[in-house]
Amino acid sequence: MKKFVALMLGLTMALSLAACGGSASSSAAASSEAASSEAAGKQTIFSLDDMADKTVGVQLGTTGDIYMSDAVGNADDLNIAGVEEYNKAADAVQALLSGKIDAVCIDDQVAKNFVAANPDSLVVLDTPYATEDYAACVAKGNDQLTEAMNAAIAELKNNGTLDAILDKYINKTEGAVGYVTPEGTEYPNGELTMATNATFEPYEYIQNGEVIGLDVDFAKAICDQMGYKLHVEDMEFDAIIPAVQSGKADFGMAGMTVTPERAESINFTDSYCTGVQSIIVLK
Amino acid sequence: MQDLWQNLVKQFTATFITEQRYMLFLNGLKTTLTITFCAALLGIVLGFLIAYCRTTYERTLRRGPLLKFLNFLCNVYLTVIRGTPTMIQVLIMYFVIFGSVKIDKVPVAVLAFGMNSGAYVAEIFRGGIMSIDYGQMEAARSLGLNYTQATWRVILPQTIKNVFPSLGNELIVLLKETSISGYIALQDLTKAGDIVRSRTYSAFFPYISVAAIYLVLVLILEKILGNIEGRLAASDR
Repeated sequence: MKKFVALMLGLTMALSLAACGGSASSSAAASSEAASSEAAGKQTIFSLDDMADKTVGVQLGTTGDIYMSDAVGNADDLNIAGVEEYNKAADAVQALLSGKIDAVCIDDQVAKNFVAANPDSLVVLDTPYATEDYAACVAKGNDQLTEAMNAAIAELKNNGTLDAILDKYINKTEGAVGYVTPEGTEYPNGELTMATNATFEPYEYIQNGEVIGLDVDFAKAICDQMGYKLHVEDMEFDAIIPAVQSGKADFGMAGMTVTPERAESINFTDSYCTGVQSIIVLK
Repeated sequence: MQDLWQNLVKQFTATFITEQRYMLFLNGLKTTLTITFCAALLGIVLGFLIAYCRTTYERTLRRGPLLKFLNFLCNVYLTVIRGTPTMIQVLIMYFVIFGSVKIDKVPVAVLAFGMNSGAYVAEIFRGGIMSIDYGQMEAARSLGLNYTQATWRVILPQTIKNVFPSLGNELIVLLKETSISGYIALQDLTKAGDIVRSRTYSAFFPYISVAAIYLVLVLILEKILGNIEGRLAASDR
């Protein structure tokens, strides 16, 4: 009897484990199949009109998130079925690649990078969803820093530094070096902390263990101009505004769009470049 | 003073009333409770099976090859599950094991948390079974009960009573652990707080409210568990 019970329990265990293992391997096989079959031309969304009743992935707290959340069940807008808010844009794209969602709404430069990494299975819709201005954010009440940064931004726009940085990261001009701190730069004013979310190529991303990108180069230029040393702090995107508000960081730069809602809790500097919200779908 | 009050009212409105955000919290609460209780059930069933296997192995002198194999499987399971972070297990479950399936996320989370909890419950049950004096088993066997009867009628009833406080503890830990399911874009209670914070740009109210809701949940659980424990102890003297 004892042996019989042990046998039965054993069988149950073995079966359940086999079931788990089996589903793991079969789904792994299925995923490569799915990827290849999707690559074979299963595109169902060709324009913004096809977005109705689709599920869209976004990064939590981005403008894509705000636009898409407003568009859920809104017949005047895209009339999408639902929004899934991931902590990282890459997680949303991963979910799109495995067919869990139908589209991802994200800034166009970032979208281009994701499509470039998966040219067989992803495509950006031709119709951009919205155009917007990017700016750095500073805590309300810290007008001194906002004004100093605005002055530095104006200066860097005039002397071509910003263009050089855009050449490197946006236009991808061959041989563009972006911004390099001139030798002999001194930092008499101490250090400024910049809050960013380094998952947003080409604006900010991690390469060789270091946060680099358009925003980081430009922030370095601004800080050099003002005589501060730059310290970059990487965090979740939706944590940047609270961090700046509470003084944990002096300013935030993360391809952040100027919106009236955000402007209520934070001050924005002058805009330094424009971005477009675009939509990635399966090819 | 009045300013402070007005500010609090404004923040409260922004956190709960605007755009019907209380629905986010309510739905999040529902998701959290669903995951917790389904995962707890799965964990208890799984944990009991594993513990039964392992104690039978430990208390059997002539072990057959099947029993040895099962014990080995259980050990591997325990090592892997207890040796890797829950968060990684949830991510693997969603992005790797169910990587290519369009599947509702709640069952995925239930499976991940249930399997995780099962490993811990197994050790709780095993400890409970081993804590019953072996003399009880010998006495039952000498009265003519076979191994299975002795286990189910003599050992297990005492085990349940012994392991109950630890099981309750595991349930409370599980409830709080589900807060990481936001990483697979599942809108549980914690994620609801995150979403509201990303809309209001203020961390105070959303997070304090979420913390308070978890605390109230745990208080209710403690109360219920305490009651059941009292019932179980009624026949002690």
